[in-house]
Amino acid sequence: MKRGERVIVIGAGHNGLIAAGLLAKRGLKPLVLEARGHVGGMMGDPDFRLSTMPFAVWPQVLRALGIDVAFEPMTTLVPTPQGVVGISTEQVVGAEDGQAAAYRALMSRLERQASALSGLLLKPPPNLASSGFGDLLGLAGTGLKLRGLGKTELRDLLRIVLSNIHDLIEDEIGDGPLAAALAVDATLGSAMGPRSPGTVLTLLLRMARNRGMRVMPKGGIDILTGKLENAVMACGGEIRTNAPVERILVEGDRVTGVQLAGGEIVPSAAVLSSAAPATTLLDLLGPQHLDAEFVRRCRKTASTGMVARIDFDLKDAPRFSGGTAPSGKDRIVIAESAAAVEAAFNAAKYGELPKQPVMEAHYDDRNRRLSVSAQFIPCSLKGGWKEESRRALQRLVERELARVFPGFGSLAAAARLMTAQDMAAAYRVPGGHWHHGELRIDQLLMLRPFDGAAHYAMPVEGLYLCGAGAHPGGDISGAPGFNGAQALLAGRRR
Amino acid sequence: MARKNAKAPHPQVAVGLEAGPFHERIAALNSQYGWMDWMGFASPSVLDNVEFEYFAIRNQSTLFDISPMCKYAIEGADAEAVVNRLVTRDIRKLKPGRVAYVIWCDEDGNVIDDGTVFRLAEDRFRLCCQEPQLAWLEDVAWGFDATIRDVSREMAALALQGPTSAALLRALAVKEMEQLKPFDFAAVRIGRKVVELSRTGFTGDLGYELWMKPQDAVAVWDDLVGAGGQQGLRVIGYQAVEMARIEAGFLLPKTDFLSSRTALRTDRPSTPFELGLERMIAFDKPHFNGRRALLRLAGSTPRRRLVQMEVGKDKPAANALVYHRKKKEVGMVTSALWSPTCKQNIAYAWLDAPYGETESGDLWVEIYLQKEIRWQRRMERCRIAEKPFFVHQRRSATPPGDY
Repeated sequence: MKRGERVIVIGAGHNGLIAAGLLAKRGLKPLVLEARGHVGGMMGDPDFRLSTMPFAVWPQVLRALGIDVAFEPMTTLVPTPQGVVGISTEQVVGAEDGQAAAYRALMSRLERQASALSGLLLKPPPNLASSGFGDLLGLAGTGLKLRGLGKTELRDLLRIVLSNIHDLIEDEIGDGPLAAALAVDATLGSAMGPRSPGTVLTLLLRMARNRGMRVMPKGGIDILTGKLENAVMACGGEIRTNAPVERILVEGDRVTGVQLAGGEIVPSAAVLSSAAPATTLLDLLGPQHLDAEFVRRCRKTASTGMVARIDFDLKDAPRFSGGTAPSGKDRIVIAESAAAVEAAFNAAKYGELPKQPVMEAHYDDRNRRLSVSAQFIPCSLKGGWKEESRRALQRLVERELARVFPGFGSLAAAARLMTAQDMAAAYRVPGGHWHHGELRIDQLLMLRPFDGAAHYAMPVEGLYLCGAGAHPGGDISGAPGFNGAQALLAGRRR
Repeated sequence: MARKNAKAPHPQVAVGLEAGPFHERIAALNSQYGWMDWMGFASPSVLDNVEFEYFAIRNQSTLFDISPMCKYAIEGADAEAVVNRLVTRDIRKLKPGRVAYVIWCDEDGNVIDDGTVFRLAEDRFRLCCQEPQLAWLEDVAWGFDATIRDVSREMAALALQGPTSAALLRALAVKEMEQLKPFDFAAVRIGRKVVELSRTGFTGDLGYELWMKPQDAVAVWDDLVGAGGQQGLRVIGYQAVEMARIEAGFLLPKTDFLSSRTALRTDRPSTPFELGLERMIAFDKPHFNGRRALLRLAGSTPRRRLVQMEVGKDKPAANALVYHRKKKEVGMVTSALWSPTCKQNIAYAWLDAPYGETESGDLWVEIYLQKEIRWQRRMERCRIAEKPFFVHQRRSATPPGDY
């Protein structure tokens, strides 16, 4: 594309902003069209953030955009009847000595293995059908890094990579609060339980960057969003909120622009979409431009969200039974054991509310707001989501929170709830899935979002994917946005 | 009419096969007890003598039960868009009352199957083909306002083929037949039953196909057979049809090419370019399945090509390998026949590129002959033919001739 040419980016989530920022830096004129009234996507709504604790954006991505965000690592707190177990980058406190040592040993091994795999993530997935020299070189680099693990660890990686996290935990550390934290990290946002195959790989991919630790941008989440937004604007990009794209326009098998919900037509020779792949391809583009097999694979992509978000405005800081209160730098994981995580998944698998949902919570001390992500709350609940079932879910979450924070019931002032079904409607994500599609072995690398659609460039010329549905997938990493923009800049075609 | 007064043979039940709508009538005539499996139905392979049956196609008229064909109704506001998305031809040009021969491809540009599309109305189509396609059609129609229905069992069908077929219909006072051009169809009355009459067929000769409700099948059969004596109407089996279709240049799935949906080996499916059907691709219409792959393929040399060949002498080159300069193996024969009408030894063969494209001379087939238990090998010269072997103006003359 020529300098100064307009490129439309659909969605102002972090991936959309990163893609637009990169294009703007390279002299193109990105126009970001956001359906909602705010930028930042799932982490951008200040009244009700879906994502409250981001993972670290790849430093290479921030460098490419020329922005500087300081991330502070968070401490994971796992409350137990015996006290709170704390996991930070430096230490594990409050856990049984033997388990803590085993946990640290396992984590450092997984970190090495994850870092050997990390080379696969910040570039397009390998193309097995027609590999160019560059592809092969990149693969060879990852191969060398894997060899660098040494015989024992490489063999160990190959042994565990397709297996489930529950078996690994059982073998290496035994069940307990540390195991629960690991099981949550391996299944977060997924419709997979710790015993589901491939959950080790999900964990490894998450750990490939910053050891899988959650971070908080210094100064709050809006700092990150603001800087990404500025990166777009500073180089001549434009962002329009409340501008939902209704249709991607095509002529002669080429993208010619988009049509907004109001009927306005915005011409452009290229469209990058950070919306979910199914939304982009089936709703905005339309199956009439695609082959039947491609459409089938797209609509059969597994994308079942199992996270419900609840915010509580509190009168005062919640306190653990020991009397301490969590700070804004803490991430609270509420799950007794890996077995309990599996039990919660079992119920959700059959469309039921779990007896004990697994929860991840963050307390914002400035706004006195407790944000809870309740995991394994099915998107399509048996009998459907009604006012009654929403109340039942809220009561369930409050009951569990009261177990961890005694007296929680009297603290809670107001609550807002969003089920996966609500997220599906609000963010146009099939199944309300955080990652725009399950992060599992058959939907990763060259199979993400699905076979035949893995290299960002879509069959209709000028259309690219750059959202969480594309390789390497969800969480706040910025890699899909970065890779998608690179694919467009390199003029990649399908 | 064959063996009218012959003693009826024992009732036949073909093991594992289903009786079709005409089974009772066909079984009564099947003195060879020759049955084959066609989509699970008992279909006659030969009733008494394949030569008689073949010559009836070319000189009289013949009845062949084609009910086992797969038939799908595609209906709804988007039916035209769905059919156009399915097939490579531009179906927008097909008017109601017309039939089109079509092929359809997968996303890699490999042929899935061929068949005929009947346009019943602006928003109603019927697809007839050899292989079951319901799942595929549902995939193609996903997201469109159209319904796909398998109507295979809601219709019985007969092929009435041969030079005297028009005269036979005339004898039954089917007036609409006079105006029917090839690939036209119309609703007509045979006796008291309404049937759909299309001027289509698999023999390359003057002929019709009749589509009716299964419950009307026997009555229509009896009317045709009752009126057909003067025209030498003969009920035939598939072997005779197979001879006629090779002469007429029609391809047979599973013999001449393999559907990409059933092929396991990646090099087994065929593209329209390889099958010599590139004229059937309308690149200038909206997107259809496999379009992008076909565009890429259009710019490259096909891996191989299906060609029609004239072979020397009279022994059919069935299953033969094709050689260049009698030495280098360059292809294989899929269908072969001594054509009694053309008096030619003919065959279809796959030739690997560049043979059949830039290299077409000095080709030989290796024919194995058994003479009194002893096998002989014969290298016979062959030559690529450009046109179908059997072409007759009576096939398309309108109004049809009164033979």
